[in-house]
Amino acid sequence: MKNARSKKYRRLQILRIVSQVFFLGLFFGLLFGTHFTGADYIGDVEVFFHFDPFLALVTALAARALTVVFAWSAATILVTLLFGRVVCGWVCPMGAIQQFFSWVFKKAKFLRPKKPASGGLWVKYAVLSFVLVAAIFGLNLAGYLDPLSFLTRTSAAGLLPALGRGLNGLIGAVYAVRLEGFGDTLSQALEKLTLNPIFQQGFFLGLVFLVFLVLNKWRERFFCRVLCPAGALLGLFSRFNLFKLKIDSAKCTKCGLCSIHCPTQAGPFPDDQWKSSECLYCETCAAICPTGAISFPARLKKEKLPAVDLSRRRMLVASFLAFFSVPFFRIGAARKRASEKLIRPPGALPEPDFLAKCVKCGECLKACPTNGLQPALSEAGPEGMWTPVLVPKIGYCEYYCSLCSQVCPTGAIKELSVPEKTTVKIGTAWIDKNRCIPYFLGRPCIVCEEHCPISPKAIKFVMVETKQADGTTATEKAPVIDLDLCIGCGICENKCPVADRPAIFVTSVGEQRSKDNQLLLKIGE
Amino acid sequence: MNRRTFLKDAALGSLVFGAGARTGLFAGTAAAAPPDLAIIQGESPSAITKAAIETLGGMGRFVARGNIVVIKPNIGWDRTPEMAACTNPDVVRALVELSFAAGAKKVTVMDNTTNQAQRCYVRSGIQAAASAAGADVPFVNPRRIKSMPLGGTWLKDWDVIQDFVECDTLINVPIAKHHNLCRVTLGMKNWLGAIGDPRNRLHQRIEEASVDLAAFFKPKLTVLDAYRILVRNGPQGGRPSDTKLLKTVAAGADAAAVEAFGATLFDIAPADLPLLKFAVERKLGRIDLEKLVLEKRAI
Repeated sequence: MKNARSKKYRRLQILRIVSQVFFLGLFFGLLFGTHFTGADYIGDVEVFFHFDPFLALVTALAARALTVVFAWSAATILVTLLFGRVVCGWVCPMGAIQQFFSWVFKKAKFLRPKKPASGGLWVKYAVLSFVLVAAIFGLNLAGYLDPLSFLTRTSAAGLLPALGRGLNGLIGAVYAVRLEGFGDTLSQALEKLTLNPIFQQGFFLGLVFLVFLVLNKWRERFFCRVLCPAGALLGLFSRFNLFKLKIDSAKCTKCGLCSIHCPTQAGPFPDDQWKSSECLYCETCAAICPTGAISFPARLKKEKLPAVDLSRRRMLVASFLAFFSVPFFRIGAARKRASEKLIRPPGALPEPDFLAKCVKCGECLKACPTNGLQPALSEAGPEGMWTPVLVPKIGYCEYYCSLCSQVCPTGAIKELSVPEKTTVKIGTAWIDKNRCIPYFLGRPCIVCEEHCPISPKAIKFVMVETKQADGTTATEKAPVIDLDLCIGCGICENKCPVADRPAIFVTSVGEQRSKDNQLLLKIGE
Repeated sequence: MNRRTFLKDAALGSLVFGAGARTGLFAGTAAAAPPDLAIIQGESPSAITKAAIETLGGMGRFVARGNIVVIKPNIGWDRTPEMAACTNPDVVRALVELSFAAGAKKVTVMDNTTNQAQRCYVRSGIQAAASAAGADVPFVNPRRIKSMPLGGTWLKDWDVIQDFVECDTLINVPIAKHHNLCRVTLGMKNWLGAIGDPRNRLHQRIEEASVDLAAFFKPKLTVLDAYRILVRNGPQGGRPSDTKLLKTVAAGADAAAVEAFGATLFDIAPADLPLLKFAVERKLGRIDLEKLVLEKRAI
């Protein structure tokens, strides 16, 4: 049979791929640029998030507040209302990655669809109802499966650190073959990228990502078709669809290729059964059709199109499940008394407001110049998993830096100017006199005092007499904390020479965002 | 370099810079040996730095044609120049320019910083100033840190950044600062920025460590930036009120002598600093300022 595939749709398909590559490049370009590049203030590197109506809706519901920048998400809704889910198909960087790996699996013949897949589409709508109902009760679970949050977090704390390590290994190979000048150049370039190398859950986050990639072996764009709640939300808005799929019945041979290879199970054949809310306008069906029977002509007439079977039962079950699970998220101790290790970045809202707004996207983890911001595991309770927490042993809060507050897409970390940031108290330093070198051994040190960035210093020294092992008494300068001046930045803990458990350490008490997590009675002061 | 070539270079230098005619400098120094210390005061950090080096006989005394020069300022902190926590960028820039003028093939300016390296390099102004003058300003490359025998009385071996070893001329450009542990931090403690971690353990014998490092690195020239010194809350300050404007640069080949002069800026007698006592014991130089030839001028 003569190949009569549509050149027009083949070209459109290529254009779609170009668009995906462009937005994927833009996404990672902005993410790579999310660090100190020489200026105190960074541009809108988090701009992708503001076009995400799912994050906008959930955050507004959970926090009972509208965030101005999320107004951009109206543009996404408008585009979806008019043209269907083109944002999923042409823009979303997570979708592009899923599609790329699906393509790889197909080319490698790991994935060989023989008949159109069925079922499973409702799951993402159930995820959406679960998250929305939880949001009504103030629980923000948007970030776990939101594609932008998922990809940013995974990249910041998993993929990019791994990339940094990989590149570092390659540079090692360059040195090994004695190309030292070239090695020096590469090493400087890598340093300038500031790929934070240490993440306490990097392995786990990388593993989750890997699982999502491998699922593409089972079904093309598995994440998009089955799991993505942001796609589900756009599916609900996808009602008008100016360009509607049409199959020329004179040309159609009913071979079924279009439905077999539709990456989201939108079922192009027969065209009156086409699920427009699932269609991403990837143009695969129209380009693959051996007789060029498929086209997407513009049709103004509103048609009744069959949507996914969202049985009322399933959605109700998901909603009830969310309703009943909200309290479980809050049984933990986190809401009773503050956790000492829960040191939030400067500008973080009071804990309940913070949790209502944080979408665990990890922009702040990427921006932190010292690698100190880490994804929490249990410090903030189950609803706070993967929210940012400062771990001073890994990295401290850089005194003149407010990048994390600038890149936060939801305002969970309130944007601060650098002078404002230097006054924000995020915790308090404490000295373990049983481990501190001058106190315990009577030897000089006060490295903590040297590094304290505040002027006048929050760490002073006093002369302390210490009985030593041989019975003699040593008199040495030893550090003391001025509670009123300490902002809890943690550089003291970070630089303390007592390696395993630093003799000076920061806990969250005294953080100015909290009324309760305090220690001193302050009345009339 | 022998005395004859030095005189020739000095004469050449005076022609090149036109300094001889303006200050009458070379009329005096060409006849006598250069002073042990040049202490110059003036409005422009760059001009006083250049005048100090000319007073010592010109950069040609320390840098020969084709040399690789490494300059070690203090870029340790994420602080802007008005905080006086890092070396004045114009002083560094002047030294880069003089090194190139003396025929240096390559000039490298670097430091192992305490705060995040990029922030320190940018906000100290040193990266921009030194690169504008043509210097390389690389970050410390972990692959270029190697353990070396230091031959110190206390420090036997330590990780050393190879850039500071693989060069013909090493110039130390510290800034004069208050320091609670050592009272002041001047030139010799600056070498903590030329080595690898765990530097924070050196504080347990900081004076001996600094002297051992100074003896190991043996800079050909030490230029103490006292344009704006840090008088309290050292070694990083944080408010302009922690600083004092002295508009001075002190330079000399004898690191101990420069250090001794630096102590006097804080009204400390050199012999009262344990570090300088160790330095004299190690025969690193002289601290008896009254017996040294000091050329002190304002321009």
